[in-house]
Amino acid sequence: MSEFTPKVDGVVEAELEKTIGPWREAWVGFRKSKVAVVGAAIVIFFIVLALFGPLVTKEGINEQFMTDRLQPPSSEYWFGTDDFGRDIFSRIIHGARISLSVGFFSVVGSIVVGSFLGIIAGYYGRWIDTIISRIFDIMLAFPSILLAIAIVSVLGPSLRNALIAIAIINVPNFGRLIRSKVLSIKEDEYIIAAKAIGMKDFRILFSHILPNSMAPVIVQGTLAIATAILEAAALGFLGLGAEAPYPEWGKMLADSKDYLQNAPWTMIFPGLAIMLTVLGFNLMGDGLRDALDPKMKS
Amino acid sequence: MRKGKLWSFALIMLLVLSTALAACSGGDDQEGSGDKDKDAADKGGSENKTLVFGRGGDSTSLDPSRVTEGETFKVTVNLFETLLNFGEQDTTIQPGLAKEYDTSEDGLTYTFQLEEGVKFHDGTDFNAEAVVKNFERWANGDSDTFPYYNSMFGGFKDDEEHVIESVKADGNSTVIITLKRPQAPFLKNLAMSMFAISSPTAFEKGDDEYERNPVGTGPFKFVEWKPNETITIEKNEDYWQEGLPKLDRIIFQAIPDNSARLNALLSGEIDLADGINPADGVKIEDNDALQLFERPSMNVGYLGLTVTREPFDKKEVRQAMNYAIDKQSIIDSFFEGRAEVAKNPMPSSISGYNEDVEAYAYDPEKAKELLKEAGLENGFEMELWAMPVPRPYMPDGTKVAEAIQSNLADVGIKAKIVSYEWATYLDKASKGEADAFMLGWTGDNGDADNFLYVLLDEDNIGSNNYTYFKNDETHKLFLEAQTEVDEDKRIELYKQAQEILHEEAPWVPLAHSIPLLGGAKELTGFVPHPTGSDLLSNVEFK
Repeated sequence: MSEFTPKVDGVVEAELEKTIGPWREAWVGFRKSKVAVVGAAIVIFFIVLALFGPLVTKEGINEQFMTDRLQPPSSEYWFGTDDFGRDIFSRIIHGARISLSVGFFSVVGSIVVGSFLGIIAGYYGRWIDTIISRIFDIMLAFPSILLAIAIVSVLGPSLRNALIAIAIINVPNFGRLIRSKVLSIKEDEYIIAAKAIGMKDFRILFSHILPNSMAPVIVQGTLAIATAILEAAALGFLGLGAEAPYPEWGKMLADSKDYLQNAPWTMIFPGLAIMLTVLGFNLMGDGLRDALDPKMKS
Repeated sequence: MRKGKLWSFALIMLLVLSTALAACSGGDDQEGSGDKDKDAADKGGSENKTLVFGRGGDSTSLDPSRVTEGETFKVTVNLFETLLNFGEQDTTIQPGLAKEYDTSEDGLTYTFQLEEGVKFHDGTDFNAEAVVKNFERWANGDSDTFPYYNSMFGGFKDDEEHVIESVKADGNSTVIITLKRPQAPFLKNLAMSMFAISSPTAFEKGDDEYERNPVGTGPFKFVEWKPNETITIEKNEDYWQEGLPKLDRIIFQAIPDNSARLNALLSGEIDLADGINPADGVKIEDNDALQLFERPSMNVGYLGLTVTREPFDKKEVRQAMNYAIDKQSIIDSFFEGRAEVAKNPMPSSISGYNEDVEAYAYDPEKAKELLKEAGLENGFEMELWAMPVPRPYMPDGTKVAEAIQSNLADVGIKAKIVSYEWATYLDKASKGEADAFMLGWTGDNGDADNFLYVLLDEDNIGSNNYTYFKNDETHKLFLEAQTEVDEDKRIELYKQAQEILHEEAPWVPLAHSIPLLGGAKELTGFVPHPTGSDLLSNVEFK
């Protein structure tokens, strides 16, 4: 909207504003929020950890050293060892890869499927909209973790199936978001114009409507990664996620719960790792929302 | 503005304060009513006479003859009595409802002299006629209704293998049981909880009705059963043994999670807890208000290899599995040393145990060699079934499975850990659907037959022989041992069988554990029984 601001501030500033695109503008807005930057820093830290951490940690994270079991944190074992004598520090770093990829890919999956369904429902309306929306309503009527448990139980417990289940339960959130956005966009002049010059539905949908409804999806997506990581950990905790011996954080928590009093470090560090990543994504998501939401701009 | 803030602050403080106070007074109230409850239970007495016994699961039935499951016997051993009893902490034969018994020379006729003046809880008389009716009821059943009768006495009335020829009453207090062929563990079988004598008037009303309203002669009477929560039994005022029982009431409370049960014990909600994690043993020992009980070990935890499934149909592979698994470190880590490494399918306390069998050492190289011999030098992939529930013989199935998984990985075997809900697990394993599965067994009568024959004979494929192991030699030895009355010869037969089982290796025997219980310090007279069914008539609070 900056193009339409009255240019009473002077020519120089007006020209400067012209060069700032909406994404750049969002970045400026994002940077203004300290909390969001902290969140982003945490997220980037974990991403770096997931990408490069495994290169620097000890070899053989799944190898068991029974003589070294339940060792408290020390200079050799920074986060101590678990009940199989495995180095918790190395396992948490490897776990970052698992948790982040489950979070990321499940959300990408739900965005793709959700956007597709949402666009169709919103653009074509009528009975297609009714069917898709009612299916979303039904799915949203279940508590999400319960639905995830049900899906994993049907598919069989494994990390891949946990990822699929989390992707499925998040589809209606994105679907509804996109649908409402499409409903408002499709009445905009440029869409009507596109229709008027005889553009095909497919092109209208994917080169005009979709890019213009992406902003809320990105915000929602960042926040959804946080929830997805939490849900993956919950499934892992219930024994429905990653299989042994994968160092999935939720599973690490579940495995250590019997040692809560004897060896608290076995629970504290995986718990902290989950908490920090989720916090990071949430802070970043909030910052993004403020930066991308035109209503929040003064 | 300022003033307003001050006010709201004061208001919030007031709220917080009143909430805190309300919570305090609530606590007081609860404690007060708790005391009242206890007083009521004591019937005015100053001491506590109600025992709350926390355990891992609920009973499936209260008619002991219909199940083979330990949680039922835990309760029914206090409601019912058997003709003969086991020793206080062993499986020697002691008098029960029969004060004396006599065996004929040929081992075919047993004569029992019954206690007189004993009454069932419903007021009817216990006598020879009642005993005969109980045996008739079982013999006329089928393997669905009385499964354990089937495996202990070789079938039912019209079956050829059925051991019991007749059960007759001679007068009011003599029972004569005649067998078709000698059965060495016959007396031990009679002492098993499932062959407890019920009131005929009560079970004649129908099996399903009886299952929920048991009537025996035991020291306690049945009061109430809230499924998956509690079973309450109370003192039998007319009990025939003077001065017993000492408690007024026992509540069996099902708390499936081991840690939750331990917490309930620590907080005093329950007085006695079964299934204490080995890792928590020290915590109870260190606690001044609690005491730790060790149940004498009469169990075996094992990894079964389904011999009908590839590649476990090859003996070399099964032996390789035995060499690959480091049992000692499993026991050190997950049994906290409170177990003995197993080399035979039964514990050393059972007569007939073969000391001379040389255990498979932990030797990954040897395992690799054997795999190579079997043509599997590159290893193979398999499913490793981990028990979903803690059992006395296996405190943490998943953890042990992970340790085994890592052992197997060292020799090139890729194991995928799978688990199902407990009932499904047993059902699928009994159908032979598992490659390798973890399981265990607690002996019910302390006889070798109750381990070797029940768990590894072809007759029990589909019931307790989950590995589908079948061997003509052992089958012959087991049947011979069943009818052999000479104890020394019998021991010899079982020793031979164990040699063969060791060589054929249908299992990787893992451990004979020492199950732990925790109780309040004031508890006296509690003696944990190796079978897992504890008679509580002598228990009281000091």
